[in-house]
Amino acid sequence: MTLRHVALIARKELRGLARERTIVFAVLLQLFIAMFSSFLMVGLATLYDPDAVAGFSSTRYAVGYAGSDSGLREILEESRDFRVYPMDLSTAVAALKERTLNAVIWVPATPPDAAEPVTITLYTVQNDIQASVVTVKIKGVLVDYEQELRAVRADRLTAQPVEVAIPASAGGENFYEFVFGLLIPLLVFMPAIISAALIIDLICEEYQHGTLETLMATPVTFASMLWGKVAACLALVPVQAGAWLLLLAANGIAVRNAAPILLHVTAGSLILILIGALCALHYRERTAAQFIFSTGIVAVVLVVLALPANPLNLIVRLAIGAIGPEHWLVLAATAGGALLLACITGRYADRVGGVGRDRILQEQR
Amino acid sequence: MHEAISAVLTISRWELKRSLTTMGRNVLPLAVLLFLLLVLATGFAQQQGVHLQDGMYAMATDSPDLAAVIADDPRFRVTLVEANAMPGGGAFDLAVIGGRIAVAETDRAQAALAAFARDYARYETWVYTRQDDLFAAYPLWIDEIPVKSELDFRATQQGQAVGAVPPRGAPPVPEGTVEVVATPAASLALAADDLRSGLAASAAEDPQVSRYAGVLTADSPDLAFKTPSQLAPPLPFDSIILIFVFIFPLYFTSQFFMMSIMNERVDRKGEVLLTTPARPWQIIAGKALPYLALMLAVSLVLTLANGAPVAIMLPLLPVILFFVAFALFIGMVSRSFKELSFLSIFFSTVATSYLFFPSIFANVHVISLISPLTLIVLQVQGEAVGAMEYLYATALFWLTSAVLVALCTANFTEERLFTSTRLLSTVRAFVGSALSLCRPHLSVFCAAACTIPFVFMAQLMLLVVLFNLPMPLSLVTLLLGAAFVEECAKAVPLYALARKAPGVLTWPRIATLGAAIALGFLAGEKALLFATLAQISESVFGAVLFTSLQALWLPLSLHFVGVLITGAVVRAGGRRALLPGILAASLVHSLYNLGIILGWAA
Repeated sequence: MTLRHVALIARKELRGLARERTIVFAVLLQLFIAMFSSFLMVGLATLYDPDAVAGFSSTRYAVGYAGSDSGLREILEESRDFRVYPMDLSTAVAALKERTLNAVIWVPATPPDAAEPVTITLYTVQNDIQASVVTVKIKGVLVDYEQELRAVRADRLTAQPVEVAIPASAGGENFYEFVFGLLIPLLVFMPAIISAALIIDLICEEYQHGTLETLMATPVTFASMLWGKVAACLALVPVQAGAWLLLLAANGIAVRNAAPILLHVTAGSLILILIGALCALHYRERTAAQFIFSTGIVAVVLVVLALPANPLNLIVRLAIGAIGPEHWLVLAATAGGALLLACITGRYADRVGGVGRDRILQEQR
Repeated sequence: MHEAISAVLTISRWELKRSLTTMGRNVLPLAVLLFLLLVLATGFAQQQGVHLQDGMYAMATDSPDLAAVIADDPRFRVTLVEANAMPGGGAFDLAVIGGRIAVAETDRAQAALAAFARDYARYETWVYTRQDDLFAAYPLWIDEIPVKSELDFRATQQGQAVGAVPPRGAPPVPEGTVEVVATPAASLALAADDLRSGLAASAAEDPQVSRYAGVLTADSPDLAFKTPSQLAPPLPFDSIILIFVFIFPLYFTSQFFMMSIMNERVDRKGEVLLTTPARPWQIIAGKALPYLALMLAVSLVLTLANGAPVAIMLPLLPVILFFVAFALFIGMVSRSFKELSFLSIFFSTVATSYLFFPSIFANVHVISLISPLTLIVLQVQGEAVGAMEYLYATALFWLTSAVLVALCTANFTEERLFTSTRLLSTVRAFVGSALSLCRPHLSVFCAAACTIPFVFMAQLMLLVVLFNLPMPLSLVTLLLGAAFVEECAKAVPLYALARKAPGVLTWPRIATLGAAIALGFLAGEKALLFATLAQISESVFGAVLFTSLQALWLPLSLHFVGVLITGAVVRAGGRRALLPGILAASLVHSLYNLGIILGWAA
């Protein structure tokens, strides 16, 4: 195995990817996703935290108020988010159906200090994005009213929580946690999964298309073939992950410590690529190898996520600058694991490489 | 007929036996082992918790109680400091000293504050649910009643914001009839102890997990009353859970079929099959049958396991066929495993978006009905789905699947299976071999009609993507996009024929073939539009997409001129001129559509 041969194979594979324009599809895919991006950002952020939808709107909403007068009406009228219309319940619900109102509240005549609770009925439009926003805003008002009622009934309580005055927030903070705590680790690790699937394709192709024998007839050895392919797949990872980070930066999301993040991703993806290579070397057939790999990888990712200070967690903390130099220790451990796996893969390749050659020759006869 | 079916079944048996023996001997033991490992890993992850966001925020506090409460949240690194000693130096995102919070001026600190506020609310619940007088701790209960209101395209068409706020002081007067709404009860129908245990349970569970777990099953009745902090907004995005439950397994199983087709092409292995007396359609049907059965079985099991109505199999069926048809197509056109992987990822993303994005608007807007997933959402909600709605949502899936399978069957030959060329040339060759040189006009007529379901799908995708843009922009981009899609579709049969028989494209032939394509396109458009898309075609968006419906001779000549432009440019400039030709035709097409909409013709 010489370094020259490894580089040769790696270049060949990368050229093959460029020639087949498969990479064009990857780019198309990114563009396609980017087309939805604003939609996706709002959508995914609300999947992550439903309350976030309220942050995207600042208009006044029309609320129909039916039933008895109460402290709630005052709070609603003082709020900048609502315009309150005292109405008859049936008329208000009909207007809600036509969307000239955004919500209808019905309040009973229960006095604030009664023994029983105040039971309010809230009508909103079913399964609608605007109704989601309105519900979140009304929720704020109702929480205020709940505190008012609780204060009236305070003498009936036996214990109070530790008091903390929570200042009003500026908004957008849920977005921050979603982007840094979920989106960034997902995006930068996606290339690792793609590369691992790619190496299965590259290795199985040599076996299934019968091109391995031709390749072995050249001075290229089995080992340099394998490491050349690994190198090609590995080289794609920091490029793709770096492209995501640049795209995020272009969208105004500044990720800190980009270089250490790329190192972590590359080390982690080497492990995934080697697992993929092992599957491919063992099965020499794409369906089986991909199937076993994709099942196995879910288990691996689950276990890794359950460990404290795992590489994905470190990427989150690096991206927001909430970690000291201790992450280098984990990087060293990951790289060590990758090296160990590389040794195993090398051994295994030596074993099956020879056998595979014999078997191919046998099949030829 | 009997013999044909038995041939199909024989091939199915071969396919099953082969996949079972190869998979069985080598893969099954390891797969079982991996499955056990997966169960163990899931258990381990559940027990340990997911440590993705650990240690994101740093907090200092002088209250041991609060430190204990917040330390339960792994996102925080909590430091206990001495009473009233304000820590400085910006080492902390939050400092809670003497009941007051100091927040650092960073985005991270703002996010930390939000996380703290939610933890604090959980802690309050913990204290309050232990009160003897529950209604002193929770004096306010809310009964949430969703009201159904569906918009059609005319609402957005009028250019006004939906749900515009009426002027101050004057309550809105409903235009329609006012139905009497019964006055709600002023008291709770539930016992205090039930409410208390409900509160404790909802505080303990992860709200994000429970909300998605609850999508498939109806709410239990004890959730009818909520405290203000329990109010969760209704979310249209919840239908994504259906994608995960029903669509991803389909995508996964279709991979096996894709590979089975690809494997026949590797090393000319499929030659054996082709030499048998079985006809191509029998081979394809035979090979597809086990996978189709598997997909149906998986869907049925998932449906039953999730307690969803069995009727959702009806809208799932065309989706399953769609996946199988595309798996067949991708398996037949890919040059290599790499290409297969990328093509299938690309296809699944686009198909998933087509299914998912319209269904977001379920119950809101009729556009949602272009996705079969919407029917599933409605059926899970327990609403009846009519035959018209079914046809509307699934027609394109049935038709595209049928056309694709027919195309692949026509090309299931030695020549196509065992040669590999660039993707676009392959597709061109596929269409080419479906065309007959003896009856060129009839075959381009049929081919043009067959592109219609794909054109509609592409255009509806455009509509879904673009109708969220502000009004003039959405119309203009839709106009250009729709014209481009149509011109591409019309260019396909002409170009395929020209490449198949290079001499065929003489100047008079361009005219006659163009006329045949225009006629076929119009006939297909008419037939499908009346069957399915009446709702959209009535709106202004419909006017943009389907202007061709006012008078017959106008759209016919438009389609004719479009093909003529493409054909002429290709004839003059050679095959490299295809794209410029299509662009030129699209431009003319868009101008015409714009003219119709702005009323120039009148």
